Amino acid sequence: MPVLQSETAKIRQFLKSRLQTDVTSFRGYESEWQNIRDLLFRTAEHGESNSALLLGTRGSGKTTLITSVLADLLPEANFYRNTVIVYLNGLLHTDDRLALKSATAQMNLENAVDGKVFGSFAENLAFLLECLKAGDKKKSKSVVFILEEFDLFCSHHNQTLLYNLFDVAQSAQAPICVLGITARLDVIELLEKRVKSRFSHRQIFLLPKENDFEGRVELFKILLKLPTDKEMKEYNKTFKPIPEDALQNQELPLLRRVFDPRSFSFSTKTISQWNKHIDALASNPKVISVLQNMYDYEVIEATFKTFLFELVCQLHDDNPLLTVEEVQAQGQQFEGDDKIHILCGLSVLELCLVIAMKHHSEIYDRDPFNFEMILTRYNKFANASTTMQGIERSVVLKAYEHVKNLELIAPISNASTSKVQKEYQLHRLLLTYGQIGQAVVKSQNLPTEVCQWAQSSLI
Amino acid sequence: NVEAVGTPKRNIQLSNIVEEFAEGRRTSKVMHETPKKATVEEPKTPKSARGRPRKSTSTVVEEYKSTPKSATKLKLIRSGAIKPNVQARDAPVQISPDDQLAVARERLHVSAVPKSLPCREKEYSEIYNFLEGKIIDSCGGCMYVSGVPGTGKTATTTAVIRSLQVLAQEEEIPTFEFVEINGMRLTEPRQAYVHIYRQLTGKTLAWEQAYNLLDKRFTTKAPRRVTTVLLVDELDILCNRRQDVVYNLLNWPTVPSAQLVVITIANTMDLPERLLMGKISSRLGLTRLTFQPYNFRQLQEIVMARLTGTSAFDAEAVQLVARKVAAVSGDARRALDICRRATELAEEQSRKVDKFVSVSMGHVQKALGEMIASAKVQTIKCCSRMEQLFLQAVTAEVARTGIEECSFLGVYSQFEALAAFAGVTVPNPGRAIAICSRLGASRLLICENSRNDIYQKILLNISSDDVHYALQASSLI
Repeated sequence: MPVLQSETAKIRQFLKSRLQTDVTSFRGYESEWQNIRDLLFRTAEHGESNSALLLGTRGSGKTTLITSVLADLLPEANFYRNTVIVYLNGLLHTDDRLALKSATAQMNLENAVDGKVFGSFAENLAFLLECLKAGDKKKSKSVVFILEEFDLFCSHHNQTLLYNLFDVAQSAQAPICVLGITARLDVIELLEKRVKSRFSHRQIFLLPKENDFEGRVELFKILLKLPTDKEMKEYNKTFKPIPEDALQNQELPLLRRVFDPRSFSFSTKTISQWNKHIDALASNPKVISVLQNMYDYEVIEATFKTFLFELVCQLHDDNPLLTVEEVQAQGQQFEGDDKIHILCGLSVLELCLVIAMKHHSEIYDRDPFNFEMILTRYNKFANASTTMQGIERSVVLKAYEHVKNLELIAPISNASTSKVQKEYQLHRLLLTYGQIGQAVVKSQNLPTEVCQWAQSSLI
Repeated sequence: NVEAVGTPKRNIQLSNIVEEFAEGRRTSKVMHETPKKATVEEPKTPKSARGRPRKSTSTVVEEYKSTPKSATKLKLIRSGAIKPNVQARDAPVQISPDDQLAVARERLHVSAVPKSLPCREKEYSEIYNFLEGKIIDSCGGCMYVSGVPGTGKTATTTAVIRSLQVLAQEEEIPTFEFVEINGMRLTEPRQAYVHIYRQLTGKTLAWEQAYNLLDKRFTTKAPRRVTTVLLVDELDILCNRRQDVVYNLLNWPTVPSAQLVVITIANTMDLPERLLMGKISSRLGLTRLTFQPYNFRQLQEIVMARLTGTSAFDAEAVQLVARKVAAVSGDARRALDICRRATELAEEQSRKVDKFVSVSMGHVQKALGEMIASAKVQTIKCCSRMEQLFLQAVTAEVARTGIEECSFLGVYSQFEALAAFAGVTVPNPGRAIAICSRLGASRLLICENSRNDIYQKILLNISSDDVHYALQASSLI
């Protein structure tokens, strides 16, 4: 292993940066990828106006798809000389005014100087529309509007921006392509009827494959293996560098600081040794069962990448290889219950209060309670016990407040709660009985009396 | 003198007036301040900052440099001297005329409006007669056009006006001016004045000024005034609570000196009675026209008219599109978009087999599937096993309680039972809430903020039959 040991830092760096910043390589979904590429290509080449929506669950690689299509198209001079890419995000451009300013600056229109747009909202809208109207299908540049978080644009006033963009796409003006990206499947129902009529109803769904566990194991290998010389040659052939002047747009965040595997180099021996090790790891039944559990819970790639990232972080000089135990421990950590952790960290008094709340909720079928009710129940126990006697009311109240601040209990939201004294405010328990039971079993140094009291409310 | 008695001039600021007590009576007098020298303020800056005053002054100079530039540019834009434009491409687009599918696709684009609109001859002649009569008589009037989106309202009206403009150029009818505004292209209703004024003169003003000038123009008599035709699209957006803009737009035609003809377009048929005030709907008059949704024969004719001369489409394929679209909405845009998508599919296929393929029923069927169907069932099938189990738990809880809205606690107990039945370990409540919010993000479920934790309400956003249908083949059930 000395070969690997000397290069562990480099391997870790390579794997980490590939997991985090590799936005251009996209796996699967060939037909969807081709569909989007054709759409953008036709907009740029033939001056055709289009509109489309890209739908898929969160983390399914919608933005990565767009980025990889752009990374494929932008190296061609024919494409980047004839198109302007405008990127808008519903979380950043929270109203039409901001979105318009940003669009004007990105299109570099006459009323924008060095990225600063002047004039009022109404003037900006009128000017942008005039510009697009003055455009011609044959002679002017195509504009590609990428609207991320498309559902948030639907909540803008009158949906003015969407109406105008779709309207330009449906009339003989400058050629534009409107590409919406959203996770909501019912986004079309949010559109107003005239906006809906102008939208071309092209919807492209990004759905993960059904029951594709082999694919997940394959992905585990792909994301952890080092590229061999042959693969690097192929990479060099397919990925052309994006020229400088194609990335003039300052506000396009998609293609900034893209991962480049060519900046790393490993010795052939390292590569073969590491890849062999990963192959062995991926065929280990224990690792497979961890992966299966994760896959049963969540099929999207994004969380799986987080999992691998935390795994890769554990590599260091003394520990140059990933072990099965590490994978299992990481899997355990993902499946753990945080609330039980919090409960285990409580003091005995606080845990007694939680147990009293549990008894109250069990008896009265999750009715809300206040401090006095819990105090009475707790006092009954404390008076009979040998360890919990002599705790003052104010200390118990402090413990109650602490439990409340940890949001293990939540006040019932009523308008009148603010006027009620804090001892009498009604709360509900935000834990299941199973969680409390597990916490009692797990927490150390708990007096036996408390453990017994947790079992039954009779004293 | 008069000035001493009246209110003080505006440029006398309050701080300049110092009250003095002279002989027990209060009098006020104006202090004439000498302008302060700049050196007075200098010592206020901390000494440490003195080292770099040069830098700050240089940036100020730069700012001054750029501001006049943008200010003059803004002035030029407002006066209409700078023509709005987009960047030009390297070389103009060329489409080879022998590529049948590309030609068909270009003709099928919604933007390619044909010279004569098929199936709208009656509406065309009605608008034509109305406008021609008003222009020849040089009097004012209103018309209200309504119909669901995509039935050719704006296209027909602009076609009428285009042919009238041709006639006016040939001097067969008096010349007229044409102004067009669209409610959805305005940020607020009052901007309508600005747009109308800009189209008449080319200058951009504030709306108050534009309104005053327009009012003056329409209400004062002027010899040699020509008729103005004003097309107002999306009328319902211009209606706010006060409805002053709509009132003015519909009141000007009643002024005899205005010679203004207003054509208003909106979607709903009963908009004047439902939304507008009595005096406004009275001014709108009863000259109305309703565009019916296209039936399947008309949609077929529209598509065929655009395709004359190409052999790209099979006749049955067009008929299928027409029938499917007419059954849903009668929207011509929808039919054209579906046909365009079908040509793309055919092109893909012809690229594969390297031979010309005309658009057949199969392509249209596929395009219809893409553009009308939703993917909810498919999405459920692609969920992870736990998510599928959770969805099933929600349907089970709905069936148990009989109420559509269920709480997370009930669903979680169902979830535990189902997991025990399927022999899998159940995720803890925290992870189950994560599943819930994931399903909520793609709107398979509607759930509250997860701040409410285990008391949040959950609503199924799809029918429970869909869930059962999707999960039939699942390995869990």
